[in-house]
Amino acid sequence: MFDWILANPYAVAGLLLPIVIPLVVFQILPLLVLIERRGAAFIQDRAGPNRAYIYIPVIGVKLRAFGMIYNATDAVKLLFKENFIPPFVHKGWYLFAPGIPVITGLLGLALIPWFSPMLYAAGAAGDSVGRLSGQMIEANSGILMLFAIGSLGVYGVVLGSWASNSKYSLLGGMRASAMMISYEVSMGLSVMGMLLLVGSLSLTDIVEWQGQHTWGIVVQPIGFLLFLVSMFAECNRNPFDVAEGESELVAGFHTEFNGVKFMTFMTAEYLHVIAASILLATVYLGGYQLLPMPLPLDGFNAPWVDLDSMWLKEHLGIVFALMLAGGGAGLLGFAYLLTGRRRIYQNNAANDVLNAERSKEYSLYIVAFSLLGLGLLAGAGASALLMDTKATATAIGSTIIFPGWVNALTAFVQFNILIAKALLFCWLFVWVRWTLPRFRYDQIMALGWKVMLNIALVNLLATAVIAKLVR
Amino acid sequence: MAKVIPRPQLSFWENIYFVEIFKGLSTTWGHAQKNLIKGDFPTRNYPDELPDLPRDYRARHRLMKRPDGTPRCVACFMCSTACPARCINIVAEESTRLDIEKRPAKFEIDLLLCVFCGFCVEACPCDAIRMDTTLGVMVADNRAEFVLTKEKLMDWAPADYPATDTQSQKAPGGSLHAQALVDFNSGNKH
Repeated sequence: MFDWILANPYAVAGLLLPIVIPLVVFQILPLLVLIERRGAAFIQDRAGPNRAYIYIPVIGVKLRAFGMIYNATDAVKLLFKENFIPPFVHKGWYLFAPGIPVITGLLGLALIPWFSPMLYAAGAAGDSVGRLSGQMIEANSGILMLFAIGSLGVYGVVLGSWASNSKYSLLGGMRASAMMISYEVSMGLSVMGMLLLVGSLSLTDIVEWQGQHTWGIVVQPIGFLLFLVSMFAECNRNPFDVAEGESELVAGFHTEFNGVKFMTFMTAEYLHVIAASILLATVYLGGYQLLPMPLPLDGFNAPWVDLDSMWLKEHLGIVFALMLAGGGAGLLGFAYLLTGRRRIYQNNAANDVLNAERSKEYSLYIVAFSLLGLGLLAGAGASALLMDTKATATAIGSTIIFPGWVNALTAFVQFNILIAKALLFCWLFVWVRWTLPRFRYDQIMALGWKVMLNIALVNLLATAVIAKLVR
Repeated sequence: MAKVIPRPQLSFWENIYFVEIFKGLSTTWGHAQKNLIKGDFPTRNYPDELPDLPRDYRARHRLMKRPDGTPRCVACFMCSTACPARCINIVAEESTRLDIEKRPAKFEIDLLLCVFCGFCVEACPCDAIRMDTTLGVMVADNRAEFVLTKEKLMDWAPADYPATDTQSQKAPGGSLHAQALVDFNSGNKH
């Protein structure tokens, strides 16, 4: 068994992907909740939740972690709440429903290409080329399957609202399903322009095409905007969250849900936001590609399938150094920002005890972030100077093969690129939510059927004509 | 004659909503980045940062003191009569001084009943009760602690009050205390 693992590291990596990726993506969830709450607060000129803390006894610091502790307190509160089930609900479906959107949200991750396909020497003699895809399920139907899974999420909402046996829930569920149907059409049609250009449904192909040409947002700006708006509707986010509609429907589809069942619905909502952000980044922002243009290769002149990631592997030392340096500079900048915060606290604190407490806490943050930032900068310098991947390349036939550690590090860099792009969209979701008021239900329907569908059709037609003329 | 207010007419760009979205986003972005980078919120971190209440804010009560430290109150019951919430409970007793008739054996204010109207301050004939402590925050773990006794009401220091507040400065520890004590012991003034 152990021998087999050592002999087939890529097969083991392929088996580990479905475990590791969802676990990593799940870590974005508390971050997104934090961004949502503090972002909302900053937009509304408030401080936001910042009082829950964990007391660290040895150094005597009340660690508030910028409001991150609230995730833990909320989870504990909701988990230990009485699991009340109203007497009028259909128990089976009522308990089953919150799980569905979580499952569909996680299933979608299986179809996202997280990194470029790894090529490696396989076979007993090491003379054939093996390939490990960045997708967990490499289906030809690709994006269609993703849409199919994504739209299954609404079943949880509808089922939950129906099983609740309450008119507010039912109205919310009906709205969600009607909106899903309306916006699924324009979503499919808006992404169709991109598919026409790529000529494939596979998400890996879409990302590779963007690596060879340019990002989707450059060639399909209108398609991108339509897809973005449809994604807001798909996730039931503001300004399309009429399914929740607390001004009209109490709390919409989750009116009758409490405790851990409510938490599951909320998890699903944020999971869908993350999945939608990753999908947007994949289809329109170049996925795991570094730059919105193909890059010249100096080492090889073979017709590479995947220019951007090949360039990345060649210059991995520099790119990795840039990534670390960016992170380090960000952390140092954040530490500098925190010195200002510490000063404000010291000026405004109500008493000396509090002042000392806060100063200690902020000093800890500043020291920790500065050290981490300096460490990353040092790592960046070391990586830029020491890492030379170009020399490690070997050829099997006409295929250039890089050793395993280069492949792994490239996958790590590309995964981070994708997550960074997805986080941009996560912030956009939050930003829009706290900017725009909720649309009226009839306005949403009018927008979906009378405006977006038509623009999507015209966009598709124009793309088809231009694509035909250019080719 | 009814005044007709015309509905505001939206321009073409406002009507298609698209441009207005970006205007709104730029507004919210301005607030978000200002608060993120400067961190100086217009709101107050309430329990960490207490509000600066003015002296004439009707805050928690205090009982004024004579130069010898006894309450200035003569237990005339004017305040408890004026009190609309009936939160002042006074028990009077005979004073030991010949020039003062009565004094409070017990002076209690139930803060849970008090409506902070300030009538007691206005009713007092000898400036014995005031509400100028600027203690706007009252926290306790149980109901009994919300009942202010005479000792709690007299537990204040002249140093916390401005020098222009002569009555406070005449109390023990105040800047005018020494002269006031001489006057008080002579029996001319109290």
